[in-house]
Amino acid sequence: MTKLHIFTRGLVKDNAVFVLMIGLCPALATSSTVRDGFGMGLAATFVLVFSNLLISILRKNIPNEVRIPIFILIISTFVTIIDYMMQAFQPDLYRALGVFVPLIVVNCMILGRAEAYASKSSVLDSVLDGLGTGLGFTLALTVMGTLREVLGNGTFLGMSVFGESFQKAPVIFMIMSPGAFLVIGILKALINKYVKKELR
Amino acid sequence: MTGTRQMVITLFVVAVSCAVILSFVYAFTAPRIADTQARLTLSGLEEVMSAHKYVEVIPDTLWEALDSSDNKLGIVFRVFPQGYGGPIPITVGLDTEGVITGIRIASAAEGLVETPGLGAKITEPDFTDQFKDKCLADVNLAHYATYVASACDPMDVFPQAGGFSEIIADTLWYALRDSDTLGIVFVGVTQGYLDRIEFMVGYSKAARVTGITVLYSKETDGIGELIRDAEFLEGFKAGAPEAISGATVSSQALIDAVDGYIDRFKEYVE
Amino acid sequence: MKSPALIFLAAFLVNNIVLMRFLGLCPFFGVSSTVETATGMGMAVIFVMTLAAWITWIVFNVILLPLNLVFLRTAIFILTIASLVQLVEMFLKKSYRALYNALGIYLPLITTNCAILGVTFLNIDNRFSLLNGTVFAIGTGLGFTLVIIVFAAIRERLDLAPINPALKGYPISFIAASLMALAFLGFTGPECQN
Repeated sequence: MTKLHIFTRGLVKDNAVFVLMIGLCPALATSSTVRDGFGMGLAATFVLVFSNLLISILRKNIPNEVRIPIFILIISTFVTIIDYMMQAFQPDLYRALGVFVPLIVVNCMILGRAEAYASKSSVLDSVLDGLGTGLGFTLALTVMGTLREVLGNGTFLGMSVFGESFQKAPVIFMIMSPGAFLVIGILKALINKYVKKELR
Repeated sequence: MTGTRQMVITLFVVAVSCAVILSFVYAFTAPRIADTQARLTLSGLEEVMSAHKYVEVIPDTLWEALDSSDNKLGIVFRVFPQGYGGPIPITVGLDTEGVITGIRIASAAEGLVETPGLGAKITEPDFTDQFKDKCLADVNLAHYATYVASACDPMDVFPQAGGFSEIIADTLWYALRDSDTLGIVFVGVTQGYLDRIEFMVGYSKAARVTGITVLYSKETDGIGELIRDAEFLEGFKAGAPEAISGATVSSQALIDAVDGYIDRFKEYVE
Repeated sequence: MKSPALIFLAAFLVNNIVLMRFLGLCPFFGVSSTVETATGMGMAVIFVMTLAAWITWIVFNVILLPLNLVFLRTAIFILTIASLVQLVEMFLKKSYRALYNALGIYLPLITTNCAILGVTFLNIDNRFSLLNGTVFAIGTGLGFTLVIIVFAAIRERLDLAPINPALKGYPISFIAASLMALAFLGFTGPECQN
């Protein structure tokens, strides 16, 4: 597999949210606006890249029997780092994401990549894999965030899209919880119908 | 045996290094987090009343606004009514005449958890500006006029105080002893079964209810008359359960106290 | 929102963990193919959630807070929950065989269930007392069980329905969940109509 393939696997072919259907909780909960979705995606990418990096470096020294607790410890360390950094420098975003920042630790995507890839592969490959998977997650959240914010609040990144009259009475339902389920359901149906064959 | 030992050692080393790294990260970010919060608070205060400086009377809850020569311009206080997602922090500026200089609903960064677009509309200027320049009395105190003058004695609810300084006529007092501010007394309102219930409540700095008395209520004949019951009112003094565990006043303790008694009023009235 | 009854109702219906807070979606979609498995999963979640709420509350308030180690919260909580699940599994296997047979296969899945960890974090963030925290955990667990059973019943019907192939599986499940969430919005109250 070329380096490019390693990177694009997680980005498109095995996209965590749209194809593998993992990491759904943060994907639905934090995609009510573009900013929240993008921020959450980047936070998860940070954790994914650095935990993959560290686990790959240490992979020969980690005894097989205790690998899972060690992975969890490493992941939760990076989660706590991003948690405090965000609190200090991006307080608005931090409050908006709420409990989902510390919950990155139980995102199956991250432990999954550590177990299935980083613990068996070279350092560079693991970082590329983490970057691809993380950016794929970011992409998915940003797409959902865009759809939901534009329809549900009439704005994109806070800027008005359809003008005043739409913004007075937008499809509020889209930024609330039913909208999240609906958007991902329809996106998944479209992917099944039009894209799936090309991805395989 | 070496396998087990290696396992334990590796696990231990990883755990300790994680803890050490995190303690550095914490030491690095903690002052910045505090800074960010303080800056947010200050800009929130400036938005409702511009002043030279703000003196915190009750942490996170009540500030005195002073001009450059230390003259009192008014007060800024926070209240926390219950919203969809949790308490909504609202900051209100009042000048010495009791006129509202500004009202501001906290942004998400200060703890607002309303759904964007739905409850969050309350943060928009269209909504908040309608309160501006109104006298507090126009907003909810107009009907006090008939009875309030005779009924209001802050001493009823704050017996520990030596004296009171009236900040807003018939509405808000500081409870003083010698030169210390012990707490505040204010007149509040809640919706009863038949009509609104107005009450006066004293809060000590430790966020404990020092006393509460009902000023106005149409509740009668067993429906809501209990709210005048002395035993019921005494119950509030044990309120603010969270304040017992922490020595400092947290804004949360005050929220809980306020929420708690409004809930209990409603229970009794129903 | 201090009274336990209000906390219970809010956790059970108004702020339903799955449909409103988006926690525990993996088991919600993964273990809801029949009503029977959904019930088993729901029971296991109530059980572990309540235990986890107790243990993490004690760990946080008795160990982390006095020692000023709050920054280790995430790591400690997840390890505590993982070991708790292991212990519960071992204990049930030895002492309560029948219960183990009913819940056993769901227990390992629970470690990575973000609903459990989420509840323990929310408990701390809301500064609940031990009583209120317990009520919150039970209410949340019951809320999870209610929606996963209802959802499993819907999915059993959907399996028999003639559906466009593109919508089969996940897409139609999401849309069904969306309608359930819409129904649950009704619990938020009449102000929603504005």
